[in-house]
Amino acid sequence: MMDTSRSPSEASGFSRKLAATIIIVYMVVTLIPISWMVATSFKSVDSAISYPPEVFFEPSLEGYVNLFTNRSRQPKDYLDTLPPPDTWYEELVRSREMVITGPSKFLPRYSNSLIIGFGATFFSVFLGSLAAYALSRFKVPLKDDLLFFILSTRMFPPIAVAVPIFIMYRKLGLGDTHVGMIILYTVVNLSLSVWLLKGFMDEIPREYEEAAMIDGYSRMQAFFKVVLPQATTGIAATAIFCMIFSWNEYAFAVLLTQFNAQTAPPFIPTIIGEGGLDWPAIGAGTTLFLIPVMIFTVVLRKHLLRGITFGAVRK
Amino acid sequence: MKSAVKKFKGLSDKAIAWIFIAPTLILLLAINIYPLIYAIRMSFTNFYANKIGREVKFVGLKNYKKILGKEEIWEKMQITAHFVCWTLVIQALIGLGLALLLNKKFKGNELLTTLIVLPMMLSPAVVGVFWTYLYNPQVGLFNYVVNFFYDFGIFDMIGSSTLAPWSIVIVDTWMWTPFTMLICLAGLRSIPNYLYEAAEVDRASKWQQFIHITLPSVLPFLLLALLFRGIENFKMFDLVAELTSGGPGSATELASINLKREAFEKWKTGYSSAFAVILFVTIFGFGNVYVKVMNKIKDR
Repeated sequence: MMDTSRSPSEASGFSRKLAATIIIVYMVVTLIPISWMVATSFKSVDSAISYPPEVFFEPSLEGYVNLFTNRSRQPKDYLDTLPPPDTWYEELVRSREMVITGPSKFLPRYSNSLIIGFGATFFSVFLGSLAAYALSRFKVPLKDDLLFFILSTRMFPPIAVAVPIFIMYRKLGLGDTHVGMIILYTVVNLSLSVWLLKGFMDEIPREYEEAAMIDGYSRMQAFFKVVLPQATTGIAATAIFCMIFSWNEYAFAVLLTQFNAQTAPPFIPTIIGEGGLDWPAIGAGTTLFLIPVMIFTVVLRKHLLRGITFGAVRK
Repeated sequence: MKSAVKKFKGLSDKAIAWIFIAPTLILLLAINIYPLIYAIRMSFTNFYANKIGREVKFVGLKNYKKILGKEEIWEKMQITAHFVCWTLVIQALIGLGLALLLNKKFKGNELLTTLIVLPMMLSPAVVGVFWTYLYNPQVGLFNYVVNFFYDFGIFDMIGSSTLAPWSIVIVDTWMWTPFTMLICLAGLRSIPNYLYEAAEVDRASKWQQFIHITLPSVLPFLLLALLFRGIENFKMFDLVAELTSGGPGSATELASINLKREAFEKWKTGYSSAFAVILFVTIFGFGNVYVKVMNKIKDR
């Protein structure tokens, strides 16, 4: 970002240093909860519940092992009869007087999050860019009302429409299915995607496609071969926002899915219940779940403002 | 209008416009508007979604009368109002403060902004889960840090009905202050420098410059940020559902949490639909008035 506008307090070196110090302190404080969760994921169960909280600790992969497996506690004499463990994770579990009974549901839940997230992102960006192009270029009757209508769908509390959708999905056989969740998240994301993409497309000069059309392209061809490639950055930014939303969504997921299409956010809290307060496992689940979003945020940083305000603030 | 473009081959622009908009419109009508109308219709009945086959009767405005006359509902509204007001006030102050500081250009500015923004991109439900750990009265880091500065002994942020409403305010503030900050920062950066130069010429003090230039220019941006946050927090569900799930008792039972209990635990579909409609109308009404006021301030 180029600093074209200079702030009035540019002159004073001291006030700038003071500002930087306060900001850095805030940054450190605000990142403590996140770092603490990542650190907890590498603790042993005992170390996670020691007081005072341990800042320095012996790293352990217990949390990750517990996250990915189901275990059952066994008496010591039974464990002694078993053949020695084959793998390091079996050994770790064995040392806690437990045996692995199978893989946990975390992986299926995580992959549900991926499937539903990518599916919904694809459709909302695809449909959104069509609608955004039409709203950006053509005279559409009641255009402003239409745009406001599209935005207003975001004001419904999700719970308010969840009951009718629940009943509707039950009738259509879409309840607890990937298809149902992809459709739902596509629709929820559409308002954001239309608004953002319209802003991006407004910035592409009409002359480009007009020139292409003079060269013999039809309007359709011009859209797919000239406008869409020009809008790549905007489309990518919009896609990441849609992905983050679907990834993080909880209300619909917890109300409409249960066994088959449940995503990670409603699942992670249930880890608490399995075998006492297993904070390292929760830390591990949280860490694996949050990492993609953090990477996305860094990638998105230039478009962040636009995304979170539905394009109301650009810059 | 049409003459210039009509000459080109392929479908007419009008046809393309409708082909492009139709799928979006149909989906929104099917998955958003239809359910809303459905909910409005159900709100006039005594429907229970778990009792299939039971006769559904039209009960007129009974559900609405019941809700508006219920003291419990006003309690929930008060809890919601407490949450919305405090989060907005605190996030406005800290957000604007941080934006003012970040606007003084220093090295690493952009990197710091990105790092500060991280919490608001995370999944609110998952954030709720791991804050229950930080708030744990025996081993929580939050409790340890607070006790480090002033020894309160053992206290339970989530378990005590006086502290719980503040526990959700703290987490929401931690998560969403960067939102206000980012938008205010955009406002600050949009102020043209010549305004300050002119003020310098007029010998206006720094304080006067702040009151007469900075604040009025950043205000529309701040108001916009608060509009977004206000709507979101009025509907707040995921974070609080996982952090306190409305408890202890009903100390943090926000409107949406209560709605979920009525609709998906007690299955009072008709009654909860009426409550949903009331909430939606409230958000819409407040939103509209707010936007009008905001535009008036902007025009001044």
